[in-house]
Amino acid sequence: MNWDQLDLNPRIRAAVSPSLTLIGRGSVRSQRFDLCSVRWFSAVLILRGECGLRLTVGCPVLDELLRGGLPAGGVTELSGESGAGKTQLALQLCLCVQYPVQYGGLNAGAVYISTEDSFPIRRLQQLIREQSCLRSDVPAALISSLQFTDHVYVEHAADVDALQVCLSRRVPLLLTRGLVRLVVVDSVAALFRSEFQADDWLERNKQLLTFSSALQQLSLEFNTPVLCVNQMNDLNLFVFRLSPLSSSVSPALGLAWANQVMVRLMMQRLQGSVERGEQSSALRRLEVVFAPHLARGGRDAAVWREGLRGVKYTSS
Amino acid sequence: MQRPVSSFSLSPGVKVKLASAGFRVTADLLHLSPPQLSREAGLSQQEALEVLQAVRSDGGGGASMSALELLQKEGELKSIVTFSSHLDAALGGGVPVGKSTEICGTPGVGKTQLCLQLVVDVQVPQCFGGVEGQAIYIDTEGSFLLQRVVDVAAAAVRHCSLLVEDEEQRVAMTTFTVETILSNIFLVRCHDYVELLAELHLLPDFLTGHPKARLLVIDSVALPFRRFEDLSQRTRVLYGLAQQLAAIATRHLVAVVLTNQMTTRLRGNQSQLVPALGESWGHAPTIRLLLQWSGSQRLATVFKSPSHADATIQYQITSDGFRDSDQSACSQPGTSC
Repeated sequence: MNWDQLDLNPRIRAAVSPSLTLIGRGSVRSQRFDLCSVRWFSAVLILRGECGLRLTVGCPVLDELLRGGLPAGGVTELSGESGAGKTQLALQLCLCVQYPVQYGGLNAGAVYISTEDSFPIRRLQQLIREQSCLRSDVPAALISSLQFTDHVYVEHAADVDALQVCLSRRVPLLLTRGLVRLVVVDSVAALFRSEFQADDWLERNKQLLTFSSALQQLSLEFNTPVLCVNQMNDLNLFVFRLSPLSSSVSPALGLAWANQVMVRLMMQRLQGSVERGEQSSALRRLEVVFAPHLARGGRDAAVWREGLRGVKYTSS
Repeated sequence: MQRPVSSFSLSPGVKVKLASAGFRVTADLLHLSPPQLSREAGLSQQEALEVLQAVRSDGGGGASMSALELLQKEGELKSIVTFSSHLDAALGGGVPVGKSTEICGTPGVGKTQLCLQLVVDVQVPQCFGGVEGQAIYIDTEGSFLLQRVVDVAAAAVRHCSLLVEDEEQRVAMTTFTVETILSNIFLVRCHDYVELLAELHLLPDFLTGHPKARLLVIDSVALPFRRFEDLSQRTRVLYGLAQQLAAIATRHLVAVVLTNQMTTRLRGNQSQLVPALGESWGHAPTIRLLLQWSGSQRLATVFKSPSHADATIQYQITSDGFRDSDQSACSQPGTSC
């Protein structure tokens, strides 16, 4: 929207060109503030615009839990114990994003920032081979025409500095060029837990805040979903229960990180398993811990050859 | 008011010229236009314009009111109902217009939900007991998701349409629809504290142009300030922010609602959850609400209020928005239900 079309007081209009001396008692900062970046939207305009964009997860049962999928403008956290299936969901999203918008994708690739193990390329290739089984709603011709591996960019970040460099240089470049519309960080906890001693928590929190604000900035500027995979902590006396979960573990990185995420999802491994033909999978549960637009709840899911699928219980 | 011209903050040269031209009190100047003033006093156009701006903006100040007049004025100000009768009772009718209210809580407890409920509730027509005003939502976290706002708005419209009793209310319902509710919410996205401060700097002009605005929500005021390096500068900036918000609230008759995060404070070996932004920020809002979990129940505690006792109530978040919990409310702080 051109700022000329805004219904502005003429005095404000006159203030656009000269630099605006910034407020704040004692802090005199003269900054060229571009009024165009501060706009008053009427919420009706947003309803018609691109702001309701969601990235499908690939399964209608899980999409129903998430009311369409991952929101495009904020940071989503996926936490869970090891082996719960977080990387499976992350890989599945890297493929889902490449479909056209009418099939729930965002018509672009994904950048996968790996901080722990090497990227599971074999599993990704298996998922690609089985895509037509998972996405039965998409015509087979379209699936075979998509070059999935070409559009998944894998970055390795061994420490916090490398992660910062990646987020400040390479990822914005990919986003600006429209090559990617999904950023996955797997995992956040690994870097921030290993590098800092127990007493360094002030420094760790500072780095964590820098990292999370960089992610939020990218997410809002490019209207891109960001998925951060997190590990779990054992609950001890000094960790506050932030929500009424009955388990004895909670997501890692504490309150400082929890304040920065918009949507928190949790993947749990349950007792029991599900059979389907000759395949069998341990039962999992994808829970919504908190989100501004989702009710608390969860769906059971299982990991198959073609990916993560929600389990639909037919009432009998 | 007859205020001497020499008491304004103008440059000495300008004051000398005005005095020698015979302008001693503001009444002498008010009726003049800038070219007339510059001719009479020998000032440049720019200086004449500044003098007149300074004199005119001082217009309403200085008048004093008796406490009875204040009481009558306050009685006319309504509160914004929250659709949770227990919370309204604890706050004395609802979120008061003309004051600032802070909502603190851990992530996921319902702060944004309460804010979204309020931006819809402020628009309830007056014949239903609402304030019928517009809302401005400053979003620093990106958590203003339209799906949810539509849910809450649709539920409010349904609720009001069930209450229609007479012709006036029926007519009011024709203008109280989801589309009109959304069109009366003005959304601004701020990415850091610089944008937030600039936004507040420009807000008085916006409010003058939109006299029906009755609610300003900043969600959240804590997030842009968590990364501040220099804590003493942060305190100074926050004080300035608090002053601006107080001025906006009283001058434009707007309810200011702020959302704050929680942080841990270590005292020796003990740690406890406290609202973020420091002790000094606690003085800024007039009313403070704390939302927390107790087992699987959500509780709201009013822990700072100049006119009501501390109280704790239970609430729940449903698909319709912020509502009373199904069980009975607790009114004594500290007791568990």
